[in-house]
Amino acid sequence: MEKFDVIVVGAGLAGLAAAYTLAQEGLEVLVLERGDYAGAKNVTGGRIYLNPIRDLFPDLWEKAPLERFIAHEEVSLMAKGKSITVRYSGEELRQEPYQSYSILRAKFDRWLAKQAERKGAMLVAKSRVDDVIMENGSVVGVRAGGDELRADVVIACDGVLSLTAEKAGLRKPGKPHDFAVGFKEVIELDPAVIEDRFGLEGDEGAARLFMGEVTRGKFGGGFLYTNKESLSLGIVVGVKDLMEGQPEVQAPTLLDDFKLRPEVASLIRGGQTVEYSAHVIPEGGLKSLTKLYGNGILVAGDAAGFSMNIGVTVRGMEYAMASGYYAAQAVLKAREAGQYGASQLSVYEKLLNDSFIMKDFQNFKDVPAALDNPRFFTVYPELATAIMSELYAVGAGPKERIYPTIRKHLTFRQLWDMLGDFRKVRKL
Amino acid sequence: MSEVMGLKAKLGLDVFKHDSEPHIRIKAGMEKDPRLKKAVLVCPAGLYSLNDAGEVEFTIDGCLECGTCRLACGTEVLEWNYPNGGAGVQFRFG
Amino acid sequence: MNIVVALKQVPDLQQIRIRNRQPIFDDVPLTLGNIDKNALEAGVQIKEAQGGKVIALSAGDENIEDTIKEALAAGADEAYLVIDDQLKDAESSLVAKVLAAAIKNIEDVDLILFGEGSADNYSGQVGPRVAELLGLPQVAFASSIEVNGNTVKVTRSLEDCSEVVEVNLPAVITVLSDINEARIPSVTQILKAGKKPKEVVELDDLKVELPDQSPVKTISNLAPDSQRKKVVVKSVDELVKALEAEGVIGR
Repeated sequence: MEKFDVIVVGAGLAGLAAAYTLAQEGLEVLVLERGDYAGAKNVTGGRIYLNPIRDLFPDLWEKAPLERFIAHEEVSLMAKGKSITVRYSGEELRQEPYQSYSILRAKFDRWLAKQAERKGAMLVAKSRVDDVIMENGSVVGVRAGGDELRADVVIACDGVLSLTAEKAGLRKPGKPHDFAVGFKEVIELDPAVIEDRFGLEGDEGAARLFMGEVTRGKFGGGFLYTNKESLSLGIVVGVKDLMEGQPEVQAPTLLDDFKLRPEVASLIRGGQTVEYSAHVIPEGGLKSLTKLYGNGILVAGDAAGFSMNIGVTVRGMEYAMASGYYAAQAVLKAREAGQYGASQLSVYEKLLNDSFIMKDFQNFKDVPAALDNPRFFTVYPELATAIMSELYAVGAGPKERIYPTIRKHLTFRQLWDMLGDFRKVRKL
Repeated sequence: MSEVMGLKAKLGLDVFKHDSEPHIRIKAGMEKDPRLKKAVLVCPAGLYSLNDAGEVEFTIDGCLECGTCRLACGTEVLEWNYPNGGAGVQFRFG
Repeated sequence: MNIVVALKQVPDLQQIRIRNRQPIFDDVPLTLGNIDKNALEAGVQIKEAQGGKVIALSAGDENIEDTIKEALAAGADEAYLVIDDQLKDAESSLVAKVLAAAIKNIEDVDLILFGEGSADNYSGQVGPRVAELLGLPQVAFASSIEVNGNTVKVTRSLEDCSEVVEVNLPAVITVLSDINEARIPSVTQILKAGKKPKEVVELDDLKVELPDQSPVKTISNLAPDSQRKKVVVKSVDELVKALEAEGVIGR
């Protein structure tokens, strides 16, 4: 029977970061990936923030196949037939080291897998892990396609549903409320057209978020990221809101209607859709994190719930890579003691607590509840665009004064509700 | 792109590798379970549909393995696993 | 007995996209052709029944070192690789020359197996050409192979009949995809594949020289034209007229 120092389940960012780090320290690491290649099953909306993880993998970034660095941020409030867009271009976004990049995972993960293999990690693709092997309450390995494979530690990096962590008893199937589903098209477009259309110079990229009518007032929004030769265009929507209806709409319709919005149609005109993908995203924040460790097992990346939506920034990939890194560090610490029980592996949680990951999750622990407010996705976009509409309108008769126009929309009741909403927003 | 691309055409752009068995199944007797109807709304690939008899029909072809139906319907209703290694959707862009 | 199975590295055909009728090979993973896997499986089954070893033979650029691991995982015992940049996308007659020279360098070869055609170009020439160059009997389109001592009985599936022939070993056989179902290697087998013996030679070692110009040039390789005309009709009459105009239906 094969025995390894560490078995990593899943060649995504968390798994590959863990494997890379462990192999670098000379450990025998096996990464099992069910896709044809690393990245074959992995989906992102499209952007990775490098600042928090740059130093964890100092040699990695120079040649990394990232798409465009994000130099322009836009957010649009979408109402029925109306929208308001704010574009932010900051000189700091155009200065190296760049803060964030658009990214396509099939390309990036394949490359990252190669880097981990160069460090000595073994990657076996097309191999699904079917179960964990438990002995005396400890995880001692995994079963994959009839093979029993053993290791001192198994690191579950098998994504948002983590059947591995579930089988090891570290989590239950999640609740719809704590998850969103994202679905997107990759739309091929000539780089020169992308640059012209989005006002970009060279490798600059743009990131756009759209809130409101695009999700029919449900929790979520639309997104668009410019890649080198394509756009990533998609919708993220809360699973609970989507399944409860009100209004009832099928997920694919949201994306179709989004593409038909004139604000979006003009951006993707002439493009060729080349892929359609979808994935669940953990968005429950601190309270929905799974158990992070057990006897002989650690959980990292989306599998642990490390992904966060705070409205204007939606993050996951840097948490995945960093948690993979800290999982590797925890294994190395446990190895010093030669024991891999939960008490030794608990150092993982300590490492996470001291890192930006758990600090972020603590700081933003009330955000999911604050954002879980349909008024942000219905009332405000409609209100703001209605005011704009009247401000810009010149009708046949005399134009009303501006202040009364605004006051007409902002009734006492409105202001009172807004006050309530924004008291909660102070937690952001 | 003024015309809307059909879902089938969109899924036709993706690479799907053949699997020896369906990786998601509606559990026997659950075809009319109200929890199953949620899948009709949430599936980004539109693989669940309601027939005239009020039962949910499901096809595995075109499954993006996103996991939404497992969350929305629950594991009492769906027998849910990932496809075998090397089978199912293989994203070229991701 | 020693069985050589010739294997060609091909792009994963399902992963190829078409843009403006041209195939796009960027980032397309490389793998072994499906029929080649059947040839390998046939070889491995014979070895398992008769003893001996299976040698996976391939010629190509340096990427084949990685791809051949699939064959070593699926039951080949060792690999013999001819690696040279000139061999990337080389044409059938040249590949046959190289493989024949390589087989001469392998000791005591009893049986040489090929797929009936490669998964990408499907010329179906390399097996027969190698047999010719080596002066060996060859049997094509095999749907079953039965080794009896010094001879082999092969069933050939032809369009509307099947033919059973017997040849003396050594011989060259090309197999059909329905000869068997190729096994899927386990994780352990995949891990062990990297440690199996592998001999890598260059064209110089085989004393094979390839001409500067390939005898066959591919002039164009286009996907079928499937442009939709996107004609919108508002009535049955209009539809009939449109179809008549296209010559799809008669008047």
